[in-house]
Amino acid sequence: MVTLPHSPLKTPSRLKRPLLILISSSLFFSGIAGAREKGISLTTDHWSFQPLASEHSHAGIDAFLKEALAGKNLRPSDRADRATLIRRLFLVMLGLPPSPEEVERFINDESPKAWEELVDRVLASPHYGERMARHWLDLTRFAESNGFETNRERPNAWRFRDYVIESFNQDKPYDQFIKEHLAGDALGADIGTGFLVAGPYDIVKSPDPNLTLMQRQDELADMINTTGTAFLGMTIGCARCHDHKFDPISQQDYYSMQAVFAGVKFGERPVTKQVTPESEKQLATLHKSLITARNELKKLKAIAANKEGDIPQRRPPVNARMNTEAFEATPAKFVRFTIRRTNSSEPCLDELAVFARGGENVALAKSGAIATSSGDLQGYPIHQLAHLNDGKTGNNSSWISNRPGKGWVQIEFAKVSPVERIEWSRDQDGRFVDRIAVDYLIELSVDGDHWDLAASSEDRSPFDEKANPNAFLSKLGEQEANQARKLIASIENTQSRIAKLQNGVKAWVANFSKPGATHRLHRGDPMAKREEVPPDALKVIGSLDLAMDTPEQARRLALADWITRKENPLTARVAVNRLWQFVFGIGIVDTPSDFGTNGTLPTHPGLLDWLASDFMAHGWSMKHTLRLLLNSEAFQRSSQPNSTAARIDATSRYLWRFPPRRLEAGAIRDSMLAAAGTLDLKMGGPGFHLFEVDRENVVHYHPKEETGPAEWRRMIYLFKIRQEQDAVFGAFDCPDGNQVVPTRNRSTTPLQALNLFNSRFTMQQAEKLAERLKGTQSPVASGFELLYNRPATAEELADSETFIGEHGLVSFCRAMLNTSEFLFIF
Amino acid sequence: MIDPRHLLDRRNFLSHSVSGLGGVALASLLGREGLLGAGRLRESAAGKMPIRPSIDPAYPHAPRIPHTEPRAKQVLMIFCSGAISQVDTWDFKPELIKRHGQPMPGGDKLITFQGQQGNLMKSPWEFKPRGQSGKMVTDLLPRLGNLADEMCFLHGMTGKTNTHGPGENFMCTGFTLDGFPSAGAWTTYALGSEADDLPAYVAIPDVRGTPQSSVNCWGPGFLPAAFQGTSFNAAKPVRNLSIPNGITGTTDAATRAFLQRQNHRHLQNHVGDSQLAARIASYELAARMQLSIPEITDLNSEPDYILREYGADESGNKILDLRAAYGRNCILARRLIERGVRFVQLFSGAYQTGGEGVSNWDGHKKIKEQYDIHGPVLDQPTAALLKDLKSRGLLEDTLVVFCSEFGRMPTFQKGASGRDHNPDGFTAWLAGAGVKAPFSYGATDEFSHKAVEGVTSVYDFYATILHILGLDHERLSFYHNGIERRLTDVHGGVIKEILA
Repeated sequence: MVTLPHSPLKTPSRLKRPLLILISSSLFFSGIAGAREKGISLTTDHWSFQPLASEHSHAGIDAFLKEALAGKNLRPSDRADRATLIRRLFLVMLGLPPSPEEVERFINDESPKAWEELVDRVLASPHYGERMARHWLDLTRFAESNGFETNRERPNAWRFRDYVIESFNQDKPYDQFIKEHLAGDALGADIGTGFLVAGPYDIVKSPDPNLTLMQRQDELADMINTTGTAFLGMTIGCARCHDHKFDPISQQDYYSMQAVFAGVKFGERPVTKQVTPESEKQLATLHKSLITARNELKKLKAIAANKEGDIPQRRPPVNARMNTEAFEATPAKFVRFTIRRTNSSEPCLDELAVFARGGENVALAKSGAIATSSGDLQGYPIHQLAHLNDGKTGNNSSWISNRPGKGWVQIEFAKVSPVERIEWSRDQDGRFVDRIAVDYLIELSVDGDHWDLAASSEDRSPFDEKANPNAFLSKLGEQEANQARKLIASIENTQSRIAKLQNGVKAWVANFSKPGATHRLHRGDPMAKREEVPPDALKVIGSLDLAMDTPEQARRLALADWITRKENPLTARVAVNRLWQFVFGIGIVDTPSDFGTNGTLPTHPGLLDWLASDFMAHGWSMKHTLRLLLNSEAFQRSSQPNSTAARIDATSRYLWRFPPRRLEAGAIRDSMLAAAGTLDLKMGGPGFHLFEVDRENVVHYHPKEETGPAEWRRMIYLFKIRQEQDAVFGAFDCPDGNQVVPTRNRSTTPLQALNLFNSRFTMQQAEKLAERLKGTQSPVASGFELLYNRPATAEELADSETFIGEHGLVSFCRAMLNTSEFLFIF
Repeated sequence: MIDPRHLLDRRNFLSHSVSGLGGVALASLLGREGLLGAGRLRESAAGKMPIRPSIDPAYPHAPRIPHTEPRAKQVLMIFCSGAISQVDTWDFKPELIKRHGQPMPGGDKLITFQGQQGNLMKSPWEFKPRGQSGKMVTDLLPRLGNLADEMCFLHGMTGKTNTHGPGENFMCTGFTLDGFPSAGAWTTYALGSEADDLPAYVAIPDVRGTPQSSVNCWGPGFLPAAFQGTSFNAAKPVRNLSIPNGITGTTDAATRAFLQRQNHRHLQNHVGDSQLAARIASYELAARMQLSIPEITDLNSEPDYILREYGADESGNKILDLRAAYGRNCILARRLIERGVRFVQLFSGAYQTGGEGVSNWDGHKKIKEQYDIHGPVLDQPTAALLKDLKSRGLLEDTLVVFCSEFGRMPTFQKGASGRDHNPDGFTAWLAGAGVKAPFSYGATDEFSHKAVEGVTSVYDFYATILHILGLDHERLSFYHNGIERRLTDVHGGVIKEILA
């Protein structure tokens, strides 16, 4: 029995106490509970927590496998034929069948290295990244909508999907990949942090504090669970309410992990770019020219204004995003904003900020200010009076009056303050431009009885949505007007260049804020706070040794380092096991996200450790490990059943044969499109939709009846809606994007048969395939080559031709697209 | 080559294809296909060994034996989406009537989902004694009220959340988060189905659209897709069920026969591979469904008096149209139960067309106006369904469950004439096989705000339902991501008091 850690990871100081508790299964619960009370660290003899074996009985996959096969009295099957092999390799690693030409080339390739070269070519294909990404996105519960009842879309979330595809294609070292997921913001890879917030997010907020706290707990639990299962193969989430029943994870560990993520928030933001000396220089030049152009334009505007005669200068018209009212500092305890007219419907304000001399917003509820109103629109948690002065902006945190076109709000400050500026807006996110107060008064009062006008819409230019901000041009002579037009164009151009240099694009990635204290919660109840906990990881492996007030980013970086240290016994084992599963359909540990005592034992523990060490020794290169797997004899064995062997090892876990399996939903759809010749292989960018979207407060999704070339891209580029499943392929065990899915179910159902046999999609592709075959010498022969990568037998030829004679080529294609041979990897 | 005529004969087909190594491969294949899940079986916290049903991948819906002698074999769940008010239906509180218009003690400090409370408000519909038992039910649902003697009320229901999405998730899946299997999926996973040419589990959404949690309510979560609810109603058929446009029946049948010949030829090289055999079988079942589902959704064979009874024969105004549409769904539900479908889930209310309160039970603003539409739509058809099931002897084996994601407040919301969400005390009822009736269990406080007696969690609720089906809620499990998952998480106990 061994105790951990033996590694150079910092040994928790408390572990140095003489008393160690060794845990065995059912005693564990009480053991751990007792341990925490006494402040004693945990230890375990469970295999996956032990350091990787440093000495190996073999080198190379086949040597390990052969030893195990011999031990079971199993004889490995022969090598599969070349056509089967290339089809297998393409389907497994690219999710697409090879073209008949590819097959022929490989069959005739006499080089002794033909297979190795083919493997290299496949791993170099950009479609490799697409294929791996599907698995990774399942594992990271990625989807492009918020989930829960509102289920709104995340239009920029696809950037994380593209980042994952690209990372696989570049063969980004796996340790780097993990670090970018957890702390990409510190590593110039912001988009990686899309991982943290890829899960569901409940946007329905309520004034009920219990609900709000519980929602936040659930958000953090999702980050902890996903981090734990995806990278460590540990069900850390089990320790939310009590110490883990089976694994050495205490409740304190759970809340320490929570402290790591405590500052992570959901949302969309511009992804920052790294500043380079070059971009800095460019920026300086751009700013300079912007100032010059603006000054020039100002002069021209002044000329135009003079020509307008005596009309007094008006302030700009109101707008949705931000309106400022500035006046001489006036002592006040109350502000009242009266709306007399809007551009449409009941007025909406997302924030009303009142600034005192010195810059403090005295209207914030946090500072003790109290809001009242003439009446509030009922029934929308996102539209509440409390949102008027909560410091949060955007439509989702706004106030709406209960009367069309009218209403007032009033804020009483905590004390009389000299106020000098008011900022108000309808939607600072700029998504909504309705419900704007276009005719309004703002008054101030010290006692709430006597009011003085501070600002109003009277001196603003009239609000007109279509108003041309460049109306002044008409007042200028032709030469001056042309000059002004050029200046306007150049200012716009310069501004967008500056924005491009400073901000990257917008993406749904993690947002960060300063975390408050994190406490252990008794039974997971947010109202039952216990002791404060520092940010930390699983102490049984080693502590992060961080202070309570460690800055937010440093917490995540520390965790990322801890996960990717070579001494961490879990990370590499879990990773190579996933690759093994990806290639062979089932892992060496067949509970790929549970390496704890509730999971199963590895069938080949020595092999797993050898692969894990080799993986790290080769710079955490996934392509390196995959190359080993694909070049193994095991991968190249025939998949033919053998009743003698099956009696000993029915699931082929010892790989006496290559285990056949059904393709997943995406690979089926992609293969159908590829066969029909309709597949659009364009990579990256916003996804395609298979739903008509009906955007109410709650978004509804209705499956599209008809698809066309725009939807005939690879399924990885499907705009992935949480919960809702594609009407044809959803039935093939597509994950719904809510839970970590390390292995897809492969169920067989009559609904799958109905969808694949009768859907408009299948019929359309059958028609396209028929058109493609019609032009060939023998449509049947070509059909078998295209769909199965093998020639038809005499019996098949005869049967097919008779069938086509009676029922036509389209029906033949419809049937063939439904056959098992087309839909399975053999 | 196999004679295509044989293809529609399942038993004959079985003897052809599942032979040789099939038997051996079967058990172990299950593990790989995730039907059983992997992971080591070990005792649960309750000291019980999990039971993962043994499933034939070729026939995942084959009937399976429960853990103990069942009292009911089928479930009909009537789900009122949007949170039906117990205050205005089943939960009679004389004190609320007495203190009508007065502030609720402590109400000023109470923040519910949408905020502050107004005063206590008695129901605008009068409570009257119903049936032999004299159970008090309001005039909102008079016909259902008259069947109170058939019902076993759970007045002390409690939820965990006061938002609809998580609430409906909780009531349908036992978890507030998205992504967990629905109760119907758990039931079919455990028991399969008696109906071999219909889906084992059917969800009948309201004609106006889906409930707030949409497909989560009948989703498979992490269970294999075989156990998800198939959703259709009397107005909207199953997708991809009919023969594609432009294809004749003869060609369709011939195409399937050709497909199966090709699959069989291929199977000869993979003798005994049960995944392949399962696919062949699934096309046979699909073919049978293609006949049986249109047959079951075609209500033309129903006599006039049935249509009348269910309110499905009248139309002409909004209420009548909606009632007729819901009535037709109720008839469909009975037909499915009659045919042995294991779990039927019938929805009243949708979020799709009008949001809050307009087409579902979410009565925040003007509850009187809103429920004056929903009440009559629900009442007659549901009552007819219950009576019809009884007269056909179907209640002998069917457990009827009436529920909603949570209840509503005994106060009106401040500034509105409707009620806010209330997960702290609400009512569900059961009827039919396995439960006492007439019977009332549990109670809320004097106003119908908080459950105080026989407090029933959603876990208790499902522990009891599973128990009636002969299933031990602590043992029925599926291994997922390191956890032996249950419908009741790690909670719940059977409410013995209500068992017949």
